Amino acid sequence: MISPKTVVLLACSWAIAISFFTGLPSAAFAQQKPAATSSHTSPNFAALSEAAEKANEENRNDDAIRLYRQALNVQPDWKQGLWFLGLLLYEKEQYAEVRDLMRRFVAVEPLAGPGWALLGLSEFQTREYPRSLEHLQHTRSIGLGEQQEMSDALFYHVSVLLTRFEQYDAAMALLMGMRKSGSSPDLLVEPIGLSALRYPLLPSEIPPARKEMFRMAGEAALADEANRRDEAEKLFSTMATEFPNEPGVHFLFGVFLLNVRPNDGIKEIQRELEIVPYNLTAKIRLADEYLKEEKFDDALRLANEVVQLDPQNASGFMVLGETLVAKDDLDRGIAALETSRELRPETVRTHWDLLRAYTSAGRAKDAKREKEEIEQILHPVAPQ
Amino acid sequence: MFAAISLFVLLSLPHPAIPDTPQKSFDAIAREADAARQADHLSNALKLYSDAVRLRPSWADGWWWLGSILYDQDRFSEAQAPFKRFIALSPKPAPAYAFLALCEYETQDYAQALHHFELWSNARSPGTGALLDVAGFHWALLLTRAGRFNEAFLLLAAKAKQRGATPVLTEAMGLASLRMAFLPEDYPPERRESVWLAGMAAVYNAQSEFRLSDAYAERLFSHYGQEPDVHYFHGILLRFQGSEDSAAEEFQKELQISPRHAPALTEWAASRLETGHNSEALTLARRALEIDPQSARAHYILGRALLETGSFHESAQELETAKRLAPESSRIRFALSNVYKRLGRKQDSEREQAAFLALKGKGNVLAPLDDKLMAPRATERPQ
Repeated sequence: MISPKTVVLLACSWAIAISFFTGLPSAAFAQQKPAATSSHTSPNFAALSEAAEKANEENRNDDAIRLYRQALNVQPDWKQGLWFLGLLLYEKEQYAEVRDLMRRFVAVEPLAGPGWALLGLSEFQTREYPRSLEHLQHTRSIGLGEQQEMSDALFYHVSVLLTRFEQYDAAMALLMGMRKSGSSPDLLVEPIGLSALRYPLLPSEIPPARKEMFRMAGEAALADEANRRDEAEKLFSTMATEFPNEPGVHFLFGVFLLNVRPNDGIKEIQRELEIVPYNLTAKIRLADEYLKEEKFDDALRLANEVVQLDPQNASGFMVLGETLVAKDDLDRGIAALETSRELRPETVRTHWDLLRAYTSAGRAKDAKREKEEIEQILHPVAPQ
Repeated sequence: MFAAISLFVLLSLPHPAIPDTPQKSFDAIAREADAARQADHLSNALKLYSDAVRLRPSWADGWWWLGSILYDQDRFSEAQAPFKRFIALSPKPAPAYAFLALCEYETQDYAQALHHFELWSNARSPGTGALLDVAGFHWALLLTRAGRFNEAFLLLAAKAKQRGATPVLTEAMGLASLRMAFLPEDYPPERRESVWLAGMAAVYNAQSEFRLSDAYAERLFSHYGQEPDVHYFHGILLRFQGSEDSAAEEFQKELQISPRHAPALTEWAASRLETGHNSEALTLARRALEIDPQSARAHYILGRALLETGSFHESAQELETAKRLAPESSRIRFALSNVYKRLGRKQDSEREQAAFLALKGKGNVLAPLDDKLMAPRATERPQ
C-alpha cells in the first residue's frame, strides 16, 4: 500500500529533480536575486549559493543543507534557497523548520502554489490542522502550475482534513474524484470510510478496535461508486452485522439501500435512529425519503425535529420547506426555504425549490432572481 | 476561525501617530513604508519599516507595523522583537501583549505566552473582537496545557455559547473536559475520538442543548467509560443540568477508576453540599484535601460545609486558605463575608463583601473573558 507520506515524498523528490521555478509566475527567478536585497549581495553569498546548488545537484544532501542555511543567513529572502532547503528538510522530516522556511518563501513569492502546498503539508505534519487546511485549500485555488505531480498529495491531505473538520460531503467528493483519476484504492479506503461514516478523524486517529469497520465502509462505498452493487451490499451488510451498535453504520447502509430497496433502506435508517436518536443527518435523509413517497406528515415531523434541535441546519430547513410546499402551505414553505438559503446560499437545490415556490405563488420577480442565482452558482463569472 | 487574524484586523487597532521630525530621510522612508503597506506591497513595506526604525528606534508606529506584517505572514519568531519594542515604547500597549503572546504560542514559548496573555487581560484594553476571539481561544488552550482546566473550560464555554460547535472549539473543549494537559497539536492521536465526543457533549451542554449533549456523552461512555476522567466529566455535565444525585454516582464511578482523583472528590462534596448532605460533604472535602492540599476549591467547599454545620472558626480558617490560594475568586469572598458575619466580625465581613462585589464578574479568567476585558477596574470611574 502506498502511504500518504510516500505520496508526498514522491512528489517532492520529483520536484527536486526538476525545478519548478521555471513554471512560477515570476519566471526564471532561479537566476534572479531579490530586488530588496540585491544591493547587499556579497561575494560570500554568491559563493555559498553556488556551492549549495552544486551540492544539491550532486545529491550531497547534508552539505547542501548546511550551505543553503549559510547562504540564507547572508540573504534571508533568497527564494531558490528557501525552496530547496525546504524540500531537503522535508525529506529529513524536519517539518517545523520546513514550515518556517515556506512561510518566508510564500511571503516573497505569494503566487507560488507549490510553496503553499509544501507549507500546508508541513503544517499537517506538525499537526497544525486548521492552518494546514487553509493553506492547502489556498494552493487549490491558485493552482500548482506545472507541478501536477504534487496534486495527489495535495488532494489527499485536503480531503482527510475536510473530514476532520466535519465537511464530509466535500471530502467525499474529492476522494471519489481522486479514485476516478486513478489514485490507489488502498490509499483512499480509510479516508472514504471515515467520511462515509461521518467521523471527524484522520486515518491515523482511527481506534484500532474499529479499523475494520472503517475499511469495510470505505470498500463498500468504493464498490458502490463503481456500480458493483452486489459487492457493495455484501460489504455494507457485513459491516452492519459486525458493528451493529456503532453510530453511522446503519445510516450508511440505509442510504445505500434507499436506491436499491427503499423499504429496507428506511428500516436501516430507523435502526440508526434507535442507536443515535439525535443523528440529524439520518433524520433529514429519512424525511427526504418520506417526502419522495408523499408521506408528508412523517417528513414534516422529522424535518421539524431537525430544525428545532439545530436552528442552523440548512438541510433541515430545505426539506421542511419542500414538504410544506408539497402540502400546499406555500407561505410557510417559502419562509423555511428562505431560511435555508440564508444559512447556505451556495446550495442549488434550495434555489430551485424557491424558484418553483415563488412561481406557484405568483412572485415572478423573486422567481427570476432565483433563476439568476442558479446561473451564477452553476456558471460563476471569474473576477476581473 | 482562530487560525489567523488578517491584516485588516491589525489595521483597525489604535496606534500612535508618526512623530513630527526634522529628519527628512526618515520622513520619506516612513511615508514610503506606509504607502507600500497600504498598497499591499508587504515585502517592500517590511524593508522600509526596518530601515525607518533603524534610523529612528523610538518610532513606536514603525515597530507596530513591522510586527503586524510579520505576524500576518505567520513569521512569528521574527514578529516578537518588534512587538516587544512597541510595548516598551507605547503608553497603552495592551493589544500588542496579545499579539506577542500569540507569537510566543506559535514558537512554543508557552510560559511567556501565558504571562503575556495575563498582562493583556489585566490591561483591560483588548483590541478588536477578532483579537478577543483568537487571543482568548489561545489563552484557553494554554490554561488547559497548564492544568488550569476549570478556567479554560469557562473561557471556552463562553465562546461555545456564542459560536456553537465549531471543530476547533470542540477539540479545545474536549481537552479541557477530559482534563488533558495538552494542546490540540500535541495530544496522543489515539485519543482523538474521545476528545471530539467530550467536546461535542461540552459544547452542547454550554448551549443548554442537553439532549444533544447527552447523545454525545453516551457515545463517549460506550467506548471510553473505563478511562480516567470520563465519569468525572459526566458528573460535571450532570451537575450543570442540576442532576446532583446522578452526578454523585458518576463521581463515585470515577473514584473506582481513579481512587486519588481529588477533583472528583471535591465535586462530589460540592454536590452533596448542594443537596444538604453537609456532613458527607465535610468528609469528602477533607479526603480531597488529603490528596491535594493546595486545591482552593476543596478548601472553599470544606469551608462552606463547615459554615453549614456551625463550625464558624474552622470555616473561616478554610476559607482564608482558599482566599490565599485564589485571591480573585468572588465566591470565596462571599462565603468569607458570611462566616465573618456569623462570627460577629462586622468590619471583616464588610470588607469581604466589598471585595466580592468588586470581583464579581471580573475576577481573573473565572469571568467570561469579554466581560472581564471590557469591564472597568473596580477602582476606575467610568468615563
